[in-house]
Amino acid sequence: MSPFWRSHDRRNEDLNDEIRAHLEMATRDRIARGESPEEAARNARREFGDVTTVREVTGDMWSGQSLDRLMQDLRWAIRSVTRAPGFALVAILTLALGIGANTAIFSVVNGVLLEPLPFPHSNQLVFITSQFPTLGFDQFPVDAAEYLEFHERNRSFSDVGAYVTSAVNIGAAGQPPARVNSGIATASLFHTLGVSPRMGRAFTDEETRPNAAPVAVLSSELWQSTFAGERDIVGRQIDVDGVKTTVVGVMPPGFDVHDQNVKIWLPLTLDPAQRQQYRGGHFLLLIGRLASNVTLARARVELQSLLAQWPAQDGADPNAAPGAPGFVHTPTTTKHRLRYDDLQKDVVGSIGTALVVLQAAVGLVLLIACANMANLMLMRAETRHKELAVRAALGAGRGRLMRQFVTESLVFSLAGGLAGLALAYWGVHALVAANAGSIPRASSVALDGRVLLFTLLLSITTGLLFGLAPLLHLSTRSIGLTLRDAGSRTTAAASRNRVRRGLVVAEMAFAVMLVVGAGLLLRSFWNLMRVDSGFDHSHLTTFGVVLPLATYRDSTRPVAFFNDLTGRLGAVPGVQSVAAMSGLPPRRQVNANDTSIEGYVPTPNGPAQNVDYYQYVTSNYVSTMGIPVVAGRAFGPSDGPLSTPVVMINQTMAKLFYENTSPVGRRVQPGGSKVWFTIVGVLKDVKQGGVDSRTGTELYFDYEQQPATRGFAPLNMNVVIRSPLEPAALATTVRRTVNALDPTLPIVSFRSMDDVFSDSVSRPRFLAQLLGIFAVVALALAAIGTYGVLAYSVAVRRRELGIRMALGSSQQGLLSLVLRQGMALAALGLVAGLLGALAVTRLASSLLFGVKPADPLTFIGVAVFMMVVAFLACLVPARRATRVDPLVALKAE
Amino acid sequence: MPLSRIELLQGTLDMIVLQTLRWGPRHGYGLVQMIRTNSRGVLQVDTGSLYPALHRLEREGSIAASWEISENRQRVRVYRLTPSGKKRLAAERSKWEQLSEAISGIFVPPPQEET
Repeated sequence: MSPFWRSHDRRNEDLNDEIRAHLEMATRDRIARGESPEEAARNARREFGDVTTVREVTGDMWSGQSLDRLMQDLRWAIRSVTRAPGFALVAILTLALGIGANTAIFSVVNGVLLEPLPFPHSNQLVFITSQFPTLGFDQFPVDAAEYLEFHERNRSFSDVGAYVTSAVNIGAAGQPPARVNSGIATASLFHTLGVSPRMGRAFTDEETRPNAAPVAVLSSELWQSTFAGERDIVGRQIDVDGVKTTVVGVMPPGFDVHDQNVKIWLPLTLDPAQRQQYRGGHFLLLIGRLASNVTLARARVELQSLLAQWPAQDGADPNAAPGAPGFVHTPTTTKHRLRYDDLQKDVVGSIGTALVVLQAAVGLVLLIACANMANLMLMRAETRHKELAVRAALGAGRGRLMRQFVTESLVFSLAGGLAGLALAYWGVHALVAANAGSIPRASSVALDGRVLLFTLLLSITTGLLFGLAPLLHLSTRSIGLTLRDAGSRTTAAASRNRVRRGLVVAEMAFAVMLVVGAGLLLRSFWNLMRVDSGFDHSHLTTFGVVLPLATYRDSTRPVAFFNDLTGRLGAVPGVQSVAAMSGLPPRRQVNANDTSIEGYVPTPNGPAQNVDYYQYVTSNYVSTMGIPVVAGRAFGPSDGPLSTPVVMINQTMAKLFYENTSPVGRRVQPGGSKVWFTIVGVLKDVKQGGVDSRTGTELYFDYEQQPATRGFAPLNMNVVIRSPLEPAALATTVRRTVNALDPTLPIVSFRSMDDVFSDSVSRPRFLAQLLGIFAVVALALAAIGTYGVLAYSVAVRRRELGIRMALGSSQQGLLSLVLRQGMALAALGLVAGLLGALAVTRLASSLLFGVKPADPLTFIGVAVFMMVVAFLACLVPARRATRVDPLVALKAE
Repeated sequence: MPLSRIELLQGTLDMIVLQTLRWGPRHGYGLVQMIRTNSRGVLQVDTGSLYPALHRLEREGSIAASWEISENRQRVRVYRLTPSGKKRLAAERSKWEQLSEAISGIFVPPPQEET
């Protein structure tokens, strides 16, 4: 023990001994005067007065050092907290909820928005994409030729890497093949990101040239999971999509790009001599590292001039139309621009706004909790006025009393913060686990030092916030008055009432804002759920199959495989229909393609001859998916490999290019093809790119006709099974059927189509759910606050209410008196809250879907709902007021 | 004016304690008894104020305390005046005399010179 403690404890003991001696002497004297021993002891004690207070105040005299004083305040605070355990429990739980929720959300904000990306000097990293303003593409991949030119010519970036993500089948001896995300990257990507492999090496430039021996770099996770972390992995050959590939390195744990969960890195094969052939095929994403001393703004300017010279350097005629002689596909000739974004901002994406909204929402919840606490402390201070008055009379100044009050509220808020931390720890895990797909960079979400500091500061601020409120009206004068006065009729009491009512109005206003916000998000989510996806996605089971190029190079083989597979699965009892398609809605990436449309003459302001989605489908596609045919017909048995090449289009494409005429019988020619395809039917629009985005133009090709017409058939296909059976019931059959056809094929994303759709709106659902929970908590706290203040005011006014009763007020009259009072506060809060919501919801408009930030229905609904809640909160204390017995109330005074 | 009464009491309590200790060292209970006797029962010192006052004076250095065994063989804390306490008492006393003289002057004004 430190000397400080020793002296402190000794002084306490001394004082106790001294008081004991005093009492003994007084008792003895009283006995000598003829009192009985018991009587004497009792009287001596009464004469001495409040021993505890004397002890505390005397102790104060000794507390010279601030630490000593602090310890004393703390003891006082802890003692007064433990004297009312029920109150303490409620207070600490309320605060734990408020602080815990704030900590949980902040740790997500911290991990996602504040924590830098796990690359050295990550603030220098820039995400480079292209923009096609005339086509409405804001962020689109760049083509390989552009990458090469950019890589060679720019001066703003110290290095630039390109990549594209895909998925491959990985085979390891003795294990079923696994489908994993792959990153196909240039050697320069690793230099750009500034990360070296933990074992072996990254690619060399030579390994990205055509005809180089296949190599791969594994992620640490894949090395551990599939290859059991074997030390001799570097130099070994593994099976990647059926190709023997040499492992040259293993990346450090957690290495990824753009949160894509990439498990294996493969070289992007580029031949600089072939660059003219790469033009127009936009599929690469670029990451650049800004040279030191170059800002993003300066890089933009520099690259703008670089782009202007681009056509001339390539010998292009800037005025030539696409396809005309002299036309070279460069950014300036096709009127697209390069776009530069801070990499972190891009990785985080739209969740940034959502997180800010959530943080603001939990902040409001905490404010409401603080208002409640302030009210509780205020009422407690009232009941302790006598104690305070004694302390003030004994020389404790206003500052001293204030410090003690604040120390007490800090004990509450820090205890609440500690409990909140535990809640947050659990909450963050639950949050991340339940929304793995909705939170980017989820792996960097943790309760780290910054989060702990945040919680500490939050607890202190919270404590000060509600600890100081009761003191606003605590003056030495008001305490002096209390000594003589019950205090209920003094001006101090009146102003305390004002503070209490103000707090209720504020609570109500904050709660209204939260409920409006939650209401808007719920309506958005509801709207998203009701968007017509264009087909019937119930009773559909889907899975993906990717055929390795090595064994399916001959393009008739994939067609045979999928014919076989759909045929066999279609014969399974309980299965109604089976089809395969290349792109699965609703999260398809646009695969925009130049497409010649016969008879359509592009105008400067009209749409370019470009189709957003190419979709390759087997013959049962339309019936299996349940897509209505709007005009013409679907593919049928007459459309074979050797018959007339046919396509179907969607309604949006029909409207865009054919306006009021019928497209059936007209012809289109897909980019890079010499074959004209005849349109046989128009299908209802399918939400390929997500229920919340615009519907693009779409062209359907018959999968069977591809080898004959275009010389290839896509290898990456999605199978859909229409059946009333659950996916789980179909799983074994599907696995057995696929294995029977080719045992090396993994089955991926096996699930019901309902789940696929539900997942596609998981982020708005996650937002609506969280905000909904916060709104409910806020509502409950506000209701409790209203109830508490009203109940207290009824208790204080028992005498007045009793007199009113005695003078003939009816119970009805009293009921409405108290109700009016409570509802007036609620109404004031409601108006303030609605106005606040009106001002704030606009900021979150990017999160809304199909509903305006000032949606009248939501606002009116919330207003009615809140008034009902407030009414219920007022009803109980109001009914209690009517049960005041006038005689009892008057006698009690 | 309850407030000024408290302040007055506080200020005078120190002086009364110091003055009583001039007659010799005393423990707390003895002080209470002696003040009551000497004031013929008019001044009743509230123990709730006395001990804080004693400890405050001790911290200031006006009085010193030590544990002794009383005539009843009881361990008691005995307070005695220190030299600085004596000085303080002298100052308090002259202040008090000035004050009471002034107040007396108000009740019985001195004869005024004709002008």
